[in-house]
Amino acid sequence: MAALPDSNHRIFLASLRTLLPAFSIIVSEESQRPFECDGLAVYQQLPMVTVIPETLLQVQEVLRLCSEHHVPLVPRGAGTGLCAGAMPHARGVLLVMTKFNQILHIDQHTASATVQPGVRNLALSQAAEPFGLYYAPDPSSQIACTIGGNVAENSGGVHCLKYGLTVNNLLQVTLVTIEGELVTFGGDGLDDTGMDLLSLVAGSEGLLGVVVEVKVKLLPRAPRIQVLMAAFDNVTAAGDAVAALIGQGIIPAGLEMMDHLAIKAAENFVKVGYPTDAQALLICELDGTHAEVEEQLSAVSQCFSDHGAYQIRVANDDKEAAALWQGRKSAFPAVGSISPDYYCMDGTIPRGQVAQVLTRIAELSQQYGLAVANVFHAGDGNLHPLILFDSSIEGQLAQAEGLGGDILTLCVDVGGTITGEHGIGLEKMPQMPYQFGDAELAQFRRLKAAFDPSELLNPGKGIPTLKYCQEYRSLQHA
Amino acid sequence: MHDLTSKLVEQVQQARADQAPLQIVGGNSKSHLGRATQATPINTREHSGIISYSPTELVIRARAGTTIKELQLALAKEGQRLPFEPPHYQARATIGGTVAANQSGPSRPWFGAVKDSLLGLGLINGYGEAMQFGGQVMKNVAGFDVTRMQAGAMGSLGLITELSIKVLPQFKTSQTLVCELDAEAALKQMQVWANLSLPVTGMCYWQHKLYVRLQGAAAGVEETLKCFTKALAVTLLEAELAQDFWKRVREHELLMAQDKQTLWRWSGPSNALTEALANTQFINWAGSERWALGLNGDNPVANHQLTQYRGGDRSIEVNPSINAHDQALQQRIKHAFDPDGLFNVGRLYSWL
Repeated sequence: MAALPDSNHRIFLASLRTLLPAFSIIVSEESQRPFECDGLAVYQQLPMVTVIPETLLQVQEVLRLCSEHHVPLVPRGAGTGLCAGAMPHARGVLLVMTKFNQILHIDQHTASATVQPGVRNLALSQAAEPFGLYYAPDPSSQIACTIGGNVAENSGGVHCLKYGLTVNNLLQVTLVTIEGELVTFGGDGLDDTGMDLLSLVAGSEGLLGVVVEVKVKLLPRAPRIQVLMAAFDNVTAAGDAVAALIGQGIIPAGLEMMDHLAIKAAENFVKVGYPTDAQALLICELDGTHAEVEEQLSAVSQCFSDHGAYQIRVANDDKEAAALWQGRKSAFPAVGSISPDYYCMDGTIPRGQVAQVLTRIAELSQQYGLAVANVFHAGDGNLHPLILFDSSIEGQLAQAEGLGGDILTLCVDVGGTITGEHGIGLEKMPQMPYQFGDAELAQFRRLKAAFDPSELLNPGKGIPTLKYCQEYRSLQHA
Repeated sequence: MHDLTSKLVEQVQQARADQAPLQIVGGNSKSHLGRATQATPINTREHSGIISYSPTELVIRARAGTTIKELQLALAKEGQRLPFEPPHYQARATIGGTVAANQSGPSRPWFGAVKDSLLGLGLINGYGEAMQFGGQVMKNVAGFDVTRMQAGAMGSLGLITELSIKVLPQFKTSQTLVCELDAEAALKQMQVWANLSLPVTGMCYWQHKLYVRLQGAAAGVEETLKCFTKALAVTLLEAELAQDFWKRVREHELLMAQDKQTLWRWSGPSNALTEALANTQFINWAGSERWALGLNGDNPVANHQLTQYRGGDRSIEVNPSINAHDQALQQRIKHAFDPDGLFNVGRLYSWL
């Protein structure tokens, strides 16, 4: 895309100023600095201008103006994303949606909530609590991340094994298109007629429109929730225990695994009583009626013992359950505390491949000379290898990226995917042509063009261009 | 049990060369759905068979022409099931058609629609390209969700060649209780129970009776049963009768449109009053799906939630209308997949 000539740039900013009050427009470098990256801080870029709208009409007008002047636009929520999906465009507008933070309606009768996109994930569950309801998708960043961002990335969390990802919990989404028009997908009922555009929007990474309103399904809190932890002296046994449990027909609400390095880091960070000698730790949450949970609890304990768990701890109360979860949920910052930098990957593999893939990751770790801590949603086969590195040492970031890329292609090789819940963004563009063929990528581009023919919405992210793919293939060939 | 992908690709390419539109036919069990259209049939029924099935991964991958019955038999051997409980239509319904027509059964409010169980897709587009989207793993956000998009598209975006589906364990116990109530009271009761965390997998209202199905671990079902029995005068339905009743719900056999009759389907909020659909005869999905049978031409008040499901004049629009802007968007999306308008043109809407 050609750069906007300076004169056009000035005309654009002048027009923008007629649409929004001065305090909604940020142009100074210093004030824009906090917006230069999302949760993946190794990718940084200052935008031409940051806009923080307060009304729907302002959002529509900003999009119309961008369309008219051919200016790229990148939507942003809380900026907790982990794939540089919200990294600004140098010649574009960064549209920050955090002021749209109202929960518009909680309907206890139909167990649903209508919210603005800037509502924080946890704030929604907290608001629903008095009605005995909650919002199921719970990414680790739930204190800060927004529902709009969750829709854009199709976020998961520790409970999606039983309750699904964002896409499985959406009822309706309203978007502003690049022309500034409003479109609504989904509806009041359970099933809408025709092609499922609601599902298309989930995980579309801001490439199709700007999410301005979301209606989600809420779930009733289970009468009983029980958390248990099982320690194993080898990773393979823990992986086998997971496969066996699912094979027995038990689908826990959450089933997480951590390896030795992650256990040590988490215990060191939050001191919740994890056995630091364990090679693998499983954290399992069961929910349901009292009798149901009682029945499952004994079956799960038995299954874990049968597969060599040397210690099983069942949380006695909510406090202890919260502590067991806290270690897992703070695993990322915990690893951050033992290393100057870490790089978080997000591949998904068939559950049965866990042991094999972890072994291969350990080999790659040795080969690159960088330690890897593994934290993952074992029930879903969604891995989060955390690569430890030091960006102040020249070349280590590139090494970490190389190792990360190898881990992702490994996931594809065993029948998995390069991203389970974090998205492609800018970060995983190099692996897209590895996972998809040319026909599929061309189909994605045509689909994108049906919404955004001038490629102004979050350009350069999510779906690689034809040129990008050709370059990738020629490099592979060479 | 054959992979006929290359043959199907050839047929699509030929149709493209001839500019001759196609009508996708699997088991031909759903010809009553959508608008009446005329085009050259392209048959997917022979493109069938389970490609892979791994019970511990909870994933089954099958060609589009595989029947629901075949899938259920393979799954039952391993104690598993399709979560969305689709109709079998006398063993004729195929998985491809089930996805295209978005056919979910009585457990829909609790275990999701067809789309919620889809993991991966094989699709031939209007360029005659066989493509693969999604995969066989539980979580996958690489690229746009072309897989789930197909649910309900009625084949308008291409020919589905295969699907990867998430499956679940079968229930250990099943109980159905029945309670005589008027429709308003039944709707209220459904809402109360639907919003509690209970092992409910079906809730409908038929001929002055509320039917509630409980399924899951034995202990949980028994516990819930006790709690329900305390709250209301309910009777337990004998296992065989219960099984037959839910089968008739699943197969859409309760309300059969006879000659000169139209079957209407309404989809909306579960707490809408009974007046939401005039002359409602059957309420499913805890209130969010409602059905009425009427004489042709004797149409209920048209609203955006109403579908002319079966019977009546099928040359007119049979699905809820949408605005011009959304129409244009859907036309562009179809064009992105099917630029020459080869697949199921006019089946969903006259303009698509």
